[in-house]
Amino acid sequence: MSLINYSSREINCKIVYYGPGLCGKTTNLQHIYSRVPQETRGKMISLATEMDRTLFFDFLPLELGQIRGFRTRFHLYTVPGQVYYNASRKLILKGVDGIVFVADSQIDRYEANIESLMNMHDNLAEHGLSIEKIPLIMQYNKRDLPRVVSVVELEKELNPKGHPYFEAVAFRGNGVFDTLKLSCKLVLKQLG
Amino acid sequence: MVKGNWALFEEDFYAISQILQTLRKSSSARSVMLIDKTGQLINSIGEPPGFDVTSFSSLVAADFGANAEIAKMVGETDFSTLVHQGTHESLFLQHIANRVILVVLFDRKSSLGLVRLKARRAGDDLLNVLQKLFDKLQYRNEEIAPPALGADFAAEAENEIDSLFRD
Repeated sequence: MSLINYSSREINCKIVYYGPGLCGKTTNLQHIYSRVPQETRGKMISLATEMDRTLFFDFLPLELGQIRGFRTRFHLYTVPGQVYYNASRKLILKGVDGIVFVADSQIDRYEANIESLMNMHDNLAEHGLSIEKIPLIMQYNKRDLPRVVSVVELEKELNPKGHPYFEAVAFRGNGVFDTLKLSCKLVLKQLG
Repeated sequence: MVKGNWALFEEDFYAISQILQTLRKSSSARSVMLIDKTGQLINSIGEPPGFDVTSFSSLVAADFGANAEIAKMVGETDFSTLVHQGTHESLFLQHIANRVILVVLFDRKSSLGLVRLKARRAGDDLLNVLQKLFDKLQYRNEEIAPPALGADFAAEAENEIDSLFRD
Protein backbone atom coordinates (compact mmCIF):
# COMPACT_ATOMS: atom_id res chain seq x y z
CA MET A 1 0.00 0.00 0.00
CA SER A 2 2.44 2.59 -1.20
CA LEU A 3 1.75 6.23 -0.48
CA ILE A 4 2.35 8.73 -3.27
CA ASN A 5 2.44 12.31 -2.08
CA TYR A 6 2.06 14.53 -5.13
CA SER A 7 2.53 17.66 -3.07
CA SER A 8 5.81 16.88 -1.34
CA ARG A 9 6.63 14.59 -4.29
CA GLU A 10 7.43 11.51 -2.23
CA ILE A 11 6.80 7.83 -2.74
CA ASN A 12 7.04 5.36 0.15
CA CYS A 13 6.92 1.60 -0.34
CA LYS A 14 6.99 -1.26 2.14
CA ILE A 15 8.84 -4.55 1.62
CA VAL A 16 8.50 -7.33 4.20
CA TYR A 17 10.98 -10.18 4.74
CA TYR A 18 8.98 -13.23 5.82
CA GLY A 19 10.07 -16.74 6.78
CA PRO A 20 10.51 -19.23 9.63
CA GLY A 21 12.53 -18.52 12.76
CA LEU A 22 16.32 -18.25 12.32
CA CYS A 23 16.10 -18.40 8.50
CA GLY A 24 18.17 -15.21 8.07
CA LYS A 25 15.68 -12.35 7.65
CA THR A 26 17.44 -10.06 10.11
CA THR A 27 20.81 -11.09 8.62
CA ASN A 28 19.56 -9.86 5.21
CA LEU A 29 18.76 -6.43 6.66
CA GLN A 30 22.00 -6.27 8.61
CA HIS A 31 23.99 -6.96 5.46
CA ILE A 32 22.08 -4.32 3.52
CA TYR A 33 22.61 -1.83 6.34
CA SER A 34 26.34 -2.52 6.40
CA ARG A 35 26.80 -2.13 2.64
CA VAL A 36 24.59 0.71 1.41
CA PRO A 37 26.00 4.27 1.43
CA GLN A 38 25.30 6.11 4.67
CA GLU A 39 23.23 8.78 2.92
CA THR A 40 20.98 6.06 1.46
CA ARG A 41 20.04 4.38 4.71
CA GLY A 42 18.18 5.56 7.78
CA LYS A 43 18.43 4.25 11.30
CA MET A 44 17.94 0.50 11.63
CA ILE A 45 15.51 -0.38 14.40
CA SER A 46 15.48 -3.88 15.89
CA LEU A 47 12.86 -4.79 18.44
CA ALA A 48 14.54 -7.96 19.66
CA THR A 49 14.71 -10.08 22.80
CA GLU A 50 17.83 -10.21 24.96
CA MET A 51 18.81 -13.28 22.98
CA ASP A 52 18.72 -11.24 19.75
CA ARG A 53 15.63 -13.02 18.47
CA THR A 54 13.24 -10.66 16.68
CA LEU A 55 10.39 -9.83 19.04
CA PHE A 56 8.27 -7.46 16.94
CA PHE A 57 10.18 -6.41 13.82
CA ASP A 58 13.37 -5.01 12.33
CA PHE A 59 13.02 -1.85 10.30
CA LEU A 60 15.40 -0.29 7.81
CA PRO A 61 14.48 2.73 5.67
CA LEU A 62 16.33 3.14 2.38
CA GLU A 63 16.24 6.24 0.21
CA LEU A 64 16.72 5.92 -3.54
CA GLY A 65 16.93 9.65 -4.06
CA GLN A 66 15.00 11.62 -6.67
CA ILE A 67 13.45 9.64 -9.47
CA ARG A 68 11.58 11.74 -12.03
CA GLY A 69 11.23 14.39 -9.34
CA PHE A 70 9.88 11.99 -6.70
CA ARG A 71 11.84 11.30 -3.53
CA THR A 72 11.53 7.51 -3.41
CA ARG A 73 11.90 5.47 -0.22
CA PHE A 74 11.69 1.81 0.65
CA HIS A 75 10.86 0.69 4.15
CA LEU A 76 12.21 -2.80 4.80
CA TYR A 77 10.67 -4.82 7.62
CA THR A 78 11.26 -8.33 8.95
CA VAL A 79 8.66 -10.30 10.86
CA PRO A 80 9.42 -12.38 13.95
CA GLY A 81 9.75 -15.95 12.69
CA GLN A 82 8.85 -17.84 15.83
CA VAL A 83 5.43 -19.50 15.61
CA TYR A 84 3.90 -17.84 18.69
CA TYR A 85 4.46 -14.29 17.42
CA ASN A 86 1.75 -14.54 14.77
CA ALA A 87 -0.15 -11.44 15.94
CA SER A 88 2.99 -9.38 15.30
CA ARG A 89 3.55 -10.96 11.88
CA LYS A 90 0.02 -10.12 10.85
CA LEU A 91 0.48 -6.48 11.88
CA ILE A 92 3.70 -6.06 9.92
CA LEU A 93 2.03 -7.31 6.74
CA LYS A 94 -0.43 -4.43 6.87
CA GLY A 95 0.10 -2.24 3.81
CA VAL A 96 2.81 -4.44 2.28
CA ASP A 97 3.93 -3.68 -1.30
CA GLY A 98 6.42 -6.50 -1.81
CA ILE A 99 7.42 -9.69 0.02
CA VAL A 100 10.70 -11.57 0.22
CA PHE A 101 10.20 -15.08 1.56
CA VAL A 102 13.44 -16.28 3.10
CA ALA A 103 13.50 -20.07 3.23
CA ASP A 104 16.01 -22.01 5.32
CA SER A 105 17.53 -24.60 2.98
CA GLN A 106 18.46 -27.04 5.73
CA ILE A 107 16.72 -30.42 5.63
CA ASP A 108 15.67 -30.04 9.28
CA ARG A 109 13.85 -26.79 8.49
CA TYR A 110 11.92 -28.08 5.48
CA GLU A 111 8.62 -28.38 7.34
CA ALA A 112 9.14 -25.01 9.06
CA ASN A 113 9.39 -23.33 5.65
CA ILE A 114 6.14 -24.88 4.48
CA GLU A 115 4.38 -23.91 7.70
CA SER A 116 5.64 -20.33 7.49
CA LEU A 117 4.58 -19.98 3.86
CA MET A 118 1.08 -21.20 4.68
CA ASN A 119 0.98 -18.83 7.61
CA MET A 120 1.94 -15.96 5.28
CA HIS A 121 -0.94 -16.77 2.92
CA ASP A 122 -3.36 -16.95 5.85
CA ASN A 123 -2.19 -13.62 7.27
CA LEU A 124 -2.39 -11.91 3.87
CA ALA A 125 -5.90 -13.22 3.44
CA GLU A 126 -6.89 -11.71 6.78
CA HIS A 127 -5.84 -8.31 5.40
CA GLY A 128 -7.86 -9.00 2.24
CA LEU A 129 -4.62 -9.39 0.27
CA SER A 130 -3.49 -12.11 -2.10
CA ILE A 131 0.03 -13.02 -3.19
CA GLU A 132 -1.22 -12.89 -6.79
CA LYS A 133 -1.21 -9.10 -6.53
CA ILE A 134 1.95 -8.56 -4.48
CA PRO A 135 5.42 -9.14 -5.95
CA LEU A 136 6.96 -12.14 -4.16
CA ILE A 137 10.61 -13.14 -4.33
CA MET A 138 11.84 -16.46 -2.90
CA GLN A 139 15.27 -16.57 -1.31
CA TYR A 140 16.77 -19.99 -0.55
CA ASN A 141 19.22 -19.15 2.20
CA LYS A 142 22.05 -21.06 3.89
CA ARG A 143 23.12 -22.77 0.66
CA ASP A 144 26.63 -23.16 2.09
CA LEU A 145 25.54 -25.63 4.78
CA PRO A 146 26.12 -29.38 4.31
CA ARG A 147 22.64 -30.91 4.81
CA VAL A 148 20.43 -28.83 2.52
CA VAL A 149 17.40 -29.59 0.38
CA SER A 150 18.05 -29.24 -3.36
CA VAL A 151 16.81 -26.07 -5.05
CA VAL A 152 14.71 -28.22 -7.40
CA GLU A 153 12.93 -29.74 -4.41
CA LEU A 154 12.47 -26.36 -2.70
CA GLU A 155 11.08 -24.87 -5.89
CA LYS A 156 8.65 -27.74 -6.29
CA GLU A 157 7.33 -27.53 -2.73
CA LEU A 158 7.53 -23.80 -1.93
CA ASN A 159 7.25 -22.10 -5.29
CA PRO A 160 4.90 -23.96 -7.61
CA LYS A 161 3.77 -20.70 -9.22
CA GLY A 162 7.33 -19.89 -10.30
CA HIS A 163 7.97 -16.58 -8.54
CA PRO A 164 11.54 -15.36 -9.06
CA TYR A 165 14.06 -16.96 -6.70
CA PHE A 166 17.66 -16.51 -5.58
CA GLU A 167 20.06 -18.77 -3.76
CA ALA A 168 21.74 -17.04 -0.84
CA VAL A 169 24.25 -17.18 1.97
CA ALA A 170 22.98 -14.10 3.75
CA PHE A 171 25.65 -13.83 6.43
CA ARG A 172 28.26 -13.53 3.66
CA GLY A 173 26.00 -11.30 1.62
CA ASN A 174 25.60 -13.74 -1.27
CA GLY A 175 22.26 -13.18 -2.97
CA VAL A 176 21.14 -10.45 -0.57
CA PHE A 177 21.33 -7.52 -2.98
CA ASP A 178 20.07 -9.56 -5.95
CA THR A 179 16.96 -10.29 -3.91
CA LEU A 180 16.51 -6.71 -2.73
CA LYS A 181 17.07 -5.19 -6.16
CA LEU A 182 14.50 -7.38 -7.88
CA SER A 183 11.96 -6.83 -5.13
CA CYS A 184 12.36 -3.03 -5.34
CA LYS A 185 12.09 -3.08 -9.12
CA LEU A 186 8.94 -5.18 -9.13
CA VAL A 187 7.31 -2.97 -6.51
CA LEU A 188 8.05 0.21 -8.48
CA LYS A 189 6.92 -1.41 -11.71
CA GLN A 190 3.51 -1.91 -10.14
CA LEU A 191 3.29 1.82 -9.45
CA GLY A 192 4.31 2.93 -12.93
CA MET B 1 -12.97 3.67 1.70
CA VAL B 2 -10.23 3.42 -0.86
CA LYS B 3 -8.07 0.31 -0.59
CA GLY B 4 -4.55 -0.37 -1.79
CA ASN B 5 -2.22 2.39 -2.93
CA TRP B 6 -3.26 5.90 -2.16
CA ALA B 7 -2.10 9.31 -3.19
CA LEU B 8 -2.16 12.80 -1.75
CA PHE B 9 -2.67 15.78 -4.03
CA GLU B 10 -1.55 19.38 -3.64
CA GLU B 11 -4.87 20.72 -2.37
CA ASP B 12 -5.35 17.89 0.16
CA PHE B 13 -1.82 18.24 1.45
CA TYR B 14 -2.34 21.99 1.86
CA ALA B 15 -5.64 21.48 3.71
CA ILE B 16 -4.07 18.87 6.00
CA SER B 17 -1.09 21.15 6.70
CA GLN B 18 -3.42 24.00 7.67
CA ILE B 19 -5.31 21.81 10.14
CA LEU B 20 -2.05 20.57 11.69
CA GLN B 21 -0.73 24.14 11.96
CA THR B 22 -3.89 25.29 13.72
CA LEU B 23 -3.76 22.34 16.11
CA ARG B 24 -0.13 22.96 16.98
CA LYS B 25 -0.74 26.61 17.78
CA SER B 26 -3.98 26.15 19.69
CA SER B 27 -2.63 23.27 21.80
CA SER B 28 0.83 24.82 22.37
CA ALA B 29 2.32 21.52 21.22
CA ARG B 30 5.94 21.15 20.15
CA SER B 31 5.06 19.34 16.98
CA VAL B 32 2.18 17.62 15.26
CA MET B 33 2.51 14.77 12.79
CA LEU B 34 0.22 12.78 10.57
CA ILE B 35 1.30 9.21 9.94
CA ASP B 36 -0.19 6.58 7.65
CA LYS B 37 -1.29 3.43 9.51
CA THR B 38 1.40 1.47 7.67
CA GLY B 39 4.08 3.67 9.25
CA GLN B 40 4.74 6.29 6.59
CA LEU B 41 4.99 9.93 7.56
CA ILE B 42 2.52 12.16 5.71
CA ASN B 43 3.40 15.52 7.24
CA SER B 44 5.13 17.04 10.24
CA ILE B 45 4.48 20.55 11.57
CA GLY B 46 6.29 22.48 14.27
CA GLU B 47 9.73 22.13 15.83
CA PRO B 48 11.88 19.76 13.79
CA PRO B 49 12.07 16.73 16.15
CA GLY B 50 15.52 15.78 17.37
CA PHE B 51 14.97 12.15 16.39
CA ASP B 52 14.69 10.06 13.25
CA VAL B 53 11.13 10.79 12.09
CA THR B 54 11.03 7.85 9.67
CA SER B 55 11.83 5.33 12.42
CA PHE B 56 9.50 7.17 14.78
CA SER B 57 6.63 6.81 12.27
CA SER B 58 7.16 3.06 11.87
CA LEU B 59 7.20 2.59 15.66
CA VAL B 60 4.06 4.71 16.14
CA ALA B 61 2.20 2.62 13.55
CA ALA B 62 3.39 -0.59 15.21
CA ASP B 63 2.41 0.77 18.61
CA PHE B 64 -1.06 1.62 17.35
CA GLY B 65 -1.41 -1.71 15.55
CA ALA B 66 -0.41 -3.67 18.65
CA ASN B 67 -2.85 -1.70 20.80
CA ALA B 68 -5.66 -2.27 18.30
CA GLU B 69 -5.12 -6.03 18.69
CA ILE B 70 -5.12 -5.68 22.47
CA ALA B 71 -8.38 -3.70 22.18
CA LYS B 72 -9.99 -6.54 20.25
CA MET B 73 -8.94 -9.01 22.95
CA VAL B 74 -10.78 -7.03 25.59
CA GLY B 75 -13.86 -6.68 23.41
CA GLU B 76 -13.27 -3.21 21.93
CA THR B 77 -13.03 -2.63 18.19
CA ASP B 78 -10.19 -0.16 18.64
CA PHE B 79 -8.52 2.14 21.16
CA SER B 80 -9.12 5.35 19.24
CA THR B 81 -6.63 7.37 21.30
CA LEU B 82 -3.40 6.50 23.07
CA VAL B 83 -1.41 8.61 25.50
CA HIS B 84 2.24 8.13 26.43
CA GLN B 85 3.13 10.36 29.34
CA GLY B 86 6.77 11.05 30.17
CA THR B 87 8.46 13.29 32.72
CA HIS B 88 9.25 16.00 30.19
CA GLU B 89 7.68 14.95 26.89
CA SER B 90 4.35 13.31 26.18
CA LEU B 91 2.60 11.93 23.14
CA PHE B 92 -1.07 11.97 22.23
CA LEU B 93 -2.10 9.64 19.39
CA GLN B 94 -5.47 9.60 17.69
CA HIS B 95 -6.76 7.24 15.04
CA ILE B 96 -8.59 8.96 12.15
CA ALA B 97 -10.67 7.55 9.30
CA ASN B 98 -9.26 4.09 10.00
CA ARG B 99 -6.29 5.10 7.88
CA VAL B 100 -4.05 7.66 9.56
CA ILE B 101 -2.73 8.49 13.03
CA LEU B 102 -2.58 12.03 14.36
CA VAL B 103 0.40 12.48 16.68
CA VAL B 104 0.82 15.43 19.05
CA LEU B 105 4.17 15.80 20.81
CA PHE B 106 3.90 18.17 23.76
CA ASP B 107 5.81 19.21 26.87
CA ARG B 108 4.96 21.03 30.11
CA LYS B 109 3.90 24.17 28.22
CA SER B 110 0.72 22.31 27.34
CA SER B 111 -1.52 19.79 29.09
CA LEU B 112 -3.17 16.53 28.17
CA GLY B 113 -6.64 18.05 28.59
CA LEU B 114 -5.93 20.89 26.18
CA VAL B 115 -4.29 18.60 23.63
CA ARG B 116 -7.17 16.15 23.81
CA LEU B 117 -9.74 18.91 23.32
CA LYS B 118 -7.99 20.53 20.37
CA ALA B 119 -7.06 17.22 18.77
CA ARG B 120 -10.71 16.15 18.76
CA ARG B 121 -11.64 19.21 16.71
CA ALA B 122 -8.67 18.77 14.38
CA GLY B 123 -9.63 15.10 14.02
CA ASP B 124 -13.09 16.06 12.75
CA ASP B 125 -11.57 18.49 10.24
CA LEU B 126 -9.05 15.90 9.06
CA LEU B 127 -11.81 13.35 8.68
CA ASN B 128 -13.63 15.70 6.28
CA VAL B 129 -10.53 16.29 4.17
CA LEU B 130 -9.61 12.59 4.09
CA GLN B 131 -13.13 11.52 3.24
CA LYS B 132 -13.14 13.84 0.22
CA LEU B 133 -9.71 12.54 -0.76
CA PHE B 134 -10.82 8.90 -0.50
CA ASP B 135 -13.94 9.64 -2.56
CA LYS B 136 -11.74 11.25 -5.18
CA LEU B 137 -9.34 8.30 -5.20
CA GLN B 138 -12.20 5.83 -5.37
CA TYR B 139 -13.50 7.70 -8.41
CA ARG B 140 -10.06 7.75 -9.97
CA ASN B 141 -9.54 4.04 -9.28
CA GLU B 142 -12.84 3.12 -10.82
CA GLU B 143 -13.29 5.60 -13.64
CA ILE B 144 -9.88 6.84 -14.60
CA ALA B 145 -6.44 5.26 -14.70
CA PRO B 146 -4.61 5.47 -11.36
CA PRO B 147 -2.20 8.40 -10.96
CA ALA B 148 0.54 7.73 -13.47
CA LEU B 149 4.18 8.33 -12.62
CA GLY B 150 5.25 8.44 -16.24
CA ALA B 151 6.56 5.76 -18.54
CA ASP B 152 10.20 6.52 -17.79
CA PHE B 153 9.78 6.29 -14.04
CA ALA B 154 10.29 2.51 -13.76
CA ALA B 155 13.31 2.59 -16.10
CA GLU B 156 14.98 5.40 -14.20
CA ALA B 157 14.20 3.72 -10.88
CA GLU B 158 15.81 0.50 -12.11
CA ASN B 159 19.03 2.31 -12.95
CA GLU B 160 19.07 3.99 -9.56
CA ILE B 161 18.44 0.67 -7.78
CA ASP B 162 21.27 -1.00 -9.71
CA SER B 163 23.75 1.73 -8.89
CA LEU B 164 22.86 2.04 -5.21
CA PHE B 165 22.33 -1.54 -4.13
CA ARG B 166 25.44 -3.56 -4.84
CA ASP B 167 28.08 -5.39 -2.86
